[in-house]
Amino acid sequence: MRNLWSAAELIAFEEEIKQAFLDQQIRGPIHLSGGNENQLIALFKHISVTDYVLTTYRNHYHCLLKGMSPEVLKRHILEGRSMYLCDWDYGILSSAIVGGMLPIAVGLALGLHRRGSDDHVWVFCGDMAAETGAFHEATKYAGTRGLPITFVIEDNGLSTNTPTFEAWGLPRKADNPLVSLGLTSPYTIGCEYGADVKYYQYERTVPHTGAGQWVTFS
Amino acid sequence: MGDVFMSLKEEITKAMQMLAEDERVIFLGQNVCYPGHVVYETLSGVPDEKKIELPVAEEMQMGISTGMAICGFVPVSIYPRIDFLVLAMNQLVNHLDKLHEMSQGQLQPKVIVRTMIGNTSPLHPGPQHSQRHVPALRLLLKHTKVYEIERAEDVLQTYEKALHQEGPVLVVEAAYR
Repeated sequence: MRNLWSAAELIAFEEEIKQAFLDQQIRGPIHLSGGNENQLIALFKHISVTDYVLTTYRNHYHCLLKGMSPEVLKRHILEGRSMYLCDWDYGILSSAIVGGMLPIAVGLALGLHRRGSDDHVWVFCGDMAAETGAFHEATKYAGTRGLPITFVIEDNGLSTNTPTFEAWGLPRKADNPLVSLGLTSPYTIGCEYGADVKYYQYERTVPHTGAGQWVTFS
Repeated sequence: MGDVFMSLKEEITKAMQMLAEDERVIFLGQNVCYPGHVVYETLSGVPDEKKIELPVAEEMQMGISTGMAICGFVPVSIYPRIDFLVLAMNQLVNHLDKLHEMSQGQLQPKVIVRTMIGNTSPLHPGPQHSQRHVPALRLLLKHTKVYEIERAEDVLQTYEKALHQEGPVLVVEAAYR
């Protein structure tokens, strides 16, 4: 199952979830993924089945690419758990709080490191989370201690619908031509201490939450 | 036997030694490896390899403790004053306390959060080092047991309970020095 997802199949899965939401089948918030299929397919080629993926409320693609069966994922979503999707059978945890998984991922990596395990932790966050103190602390500590963890920043430039860099009074990192050509990482925080920080930029093709239409539950 | 005077500090020191005998237990926080607070003295019987001195990053400390617990450790996560624990509320209330529910019971990360109420004599430390917060924490925490230790006689059994029951525990020690 792993890594056999094409971009079109990922998009089709989210279309199915969108329809289920519009059909009033989901009594919980959903945050669809869209626009980052190719970046994630490429990234997940490096993520092993025994690795851990700690992620955000926008997690459906991460779950599928990590190897969760679409049936299991759909059940979690239909039962209203999309926003905090945790299934340890697949080594997946998500938090509905911005940056919530960052220090937990560091602790998991510290535990693995002390046990001499070869497993690796991958923790995902958005562009707004990457500007927080939580990100700064987590990358600094993981870097100086040489922990088995990779931070992945998914930059769509938006936090809900607030332009992250405008809110901070900063230029959008992806606007730097060296960054957009992949010649430099926009994130020096953490990297300067040796943390493994990966970054990709994309344009979100879905609403922040829901399915783009007001759904009335009867 | 007659009256045996038990000191809170001595009993807590024994309790920490008892916890350290469990191979899963690890101690982390501030003043764990370096003196400057009574916490350090209470860990005098704990081997160095079981102690991790963390920088002042209360929220990260709570998250690290949760992550280590998921990995099978039992972190004793030390906040030398309950006033400082307030800085870790997101990881304590929204994450450690809720992961059991979020994971449909798959995970029940066991962290023993250990904190203390500040002394008010002989020096009064002022409004930021002498708060209690225990009733508020009981209201905030749904799946975390909260124990308050006021008498030396209760120390060992409280920490034994904390170690053996399932799920996260918060132990608040009364002021001592």
